[in-house]
Amino acid sequence: MTLAIDSLVVGYGKRTVVKGATLRIGKGELVGLLGSNGSGKSTLIKTIAGINRHSAGTITWDGTTDLAGLPRRELAKLVAYVPQSISLSFGLDIKEAVLLGRTPYFGTRPSERDWQHVEQAIRLLGLNELGDRAVTELSGGQGQRVLIARALAQNPKILLLDEPTSALDIRYQWQTLTIARQVTRKNDVAAVIAIHDLNQAARFCDRVIFLNDGEIIAEGRPADVYSPELIKTVYGVEVELSTHKGFVQIHPAADQDEPQRPVHLAAVHTSSVGESRLQAQG
Amino acid sequence: MSSTQTDPYLADAVSGEPGSSRRRRDRYAYQNGAIVLGIAAVIVTALVGIQIGTSGATLGHVLGTFYAKITATPPTERAALQIQNIIWELRVPRIALAILGGAALAIAGTLFQGLLRNPLVSPYTLGIAPAAAFGASLAIVVFGATAGSANIPLVIGALLFSFLNTALVLSLASARNLNATTLILVGIALSQLFGALTACIQYFAQDEVLAAIVRWTWGSVNNSAWYQVLVMFALLALTLPYIRFRSGALNAIAFAGDDSAKSLGVAVSRVRLESIAIAATLTAVTIAFTGIIGFVGLVAPHIARLVVGPNHRFLITFSAIIGALLLVVSDAVGRLVISPGVIPVGIIDALVGAPIFLYLILTRQKAIE
Repeated sequence: MTLAIDSLVVGYGKRTVVKGATLRIGKGELVGLLGSNGSGKSTLIKTIAGINRHSAGTITWDGTTDLAGLPRRELAKLVAYVPQSISLSFGLDIKEAVLLGRTPYFGTRPSERDWQHVEQAIRLLGLNELGDRAVTELSGGQGQRVLIARALAQNPKILLLDEPTSALDIRYQWQTLTIARQVTRKNDVAAVIAIHDLNQAARFCDRVIFLNDGEIIAEGRPADVYSPELIKTVYGVEVELSTHKGFVQIHPAADQDEPQRPVHLAAVHTSSVGESRLQAQG
Repeated sequence: MSSTQTDPYLADAVSGEPGSSRRRRDRYAYQNGAIVLGIAAVIVTALVGIQIGTSGATLGHVLGTFYAKITATPPTERAALQIQNIIWELRVPRIALAILGGAALAIAGTLFQGLLRNPLVSPYTLGIAPAAAFGASLAIVVFGATAGSANIPLVIGALLFSFLNTALVLSLASARNLNATTLILVGIALSQLFGALTACIQYFAQDEVLAAIVRWTWGSVNNSAWYQVLVMFALLALTLPYIRFRSGALNAIAFAGDDSAKSLGVAVSRVRLESIAIAATLTAVTIAFTGIIGFVGLVAPHIARLVVGPNHRFLITFSAIIGALLLVVSDAVGRLVISPGVIPVGIIDALVGAPIFLYLILTRQKAIE
């Protein structure tokens, strides 16, 4: 089973943001969507999720199902979307927040089966230990787990994550990405994740796709695709590549390093006032 | 077909945490119990409220009146007939309008807060109250209407401009696909516009016209009429099933945001437009009949959330109950404190509701947030 996107064009008004994107995502595969800010990553993800409309091209699942032709509820049973951060208006508890993922499946009253999905997702994401806490009381990482659990409660075949780690510290970034990779494989979904950190993408994604100004300019395994030239084209920075524990890693190029380090901070004791303060040294 | 065959995701799922479905049933029982208790409280306060006044009506008179109306057997004694007429023609419509109006404003407040994803929003945020006040003021100036809330030109004036305001907001929302924040800003702009127009009328009006306009804006159920009760009842009976049906979609919009709600299968624009149209209609019709009764539409949803939680499936009904209770109690207090004089319900409503709300904010801050 494959998510197939062909010649997709998406725009806002007269501005075209995604320009003829063509890609394939397989079952059980986590694909990283990379590119600079404004390159069209979120727009592409939201279009697959049915949030944005496309003006040309096709999005199909399993070779036959045209996603754009599906009723909204049916689409939501197939595709789940994880936004950047959890909404904090009003204090739903964790279970009710995850139950939102069952919205496409029930009318006014959730069934026992809907609750089974909710509890399974909660257990899979390790949220049961948080009890019935309100989402307003959760940390960023816990909130992100709730969002992924909500997406899993939809029982999707396609999982779309829109920069889910952008507001998290490194611990929760790793946790979120580990969970994303695990659920992709465990549930055999086709998953796309928009992500900024190239090193994390190399570590956690099966494949990566580079978007530049709305066009796909490279795709493949990180080790095969990453190159100083590509990074320079996409981000405008000079980098060097290395390998760490089998994963390709990116570092700033040595000759770029020096001019970017003009300031060193040191603690200086000021005896007259008896306090320490930081002083910038050139 | 078994569930595990169609859902590989559930294939290795156990049937749920031990005791979790019992906890859910307990929670539902609590929420449904709160609703039943709330309805009982409304009935009791209504029966007490009907008795308040100088006619000396007792609970026996009230129950006797209902029995007589149901069985069509009017009392033969003149004194009993007089009390029955007071109860049936004055008190019952008054209390019924307080119940239905309070419920309508509370439902509208709940819908607006959810749809616009903002707990500070009230039924008047989109400019409906200032528009109604302008319409009522215009009617008072043109037709020399008194501030009695049953006065037809006044009702029509208030309704006309409320709907004009709502149509303007909805047209803009539909044509420009406005988000929640922009809708609130449009409402603020329209509030200022109609507020300024009403101020113009007040500035040039003679003293008695000015007094009538000000009296109307206090909000009152003093001159309630049966036709108003029937219209409100019909309106709620027609709209409540739709709102209940949309409770899942309302939850998704309120708690997940527009983009996520769309990805959860909700037709966000359509649900928002339809629900705002309903909330605006409930608000417009209520204030056309009662004048501007503030606070209940803002505070009732918050009080209800503290008791039954934010899930719209229960919240809508319980907000309506709290709104009804607030207005019935406020009306009763307004008739008691300077009896036989009456303080309008719109004033007492804020005087009674504000301390309760403050208490809840200070004691259950987390739940409010």
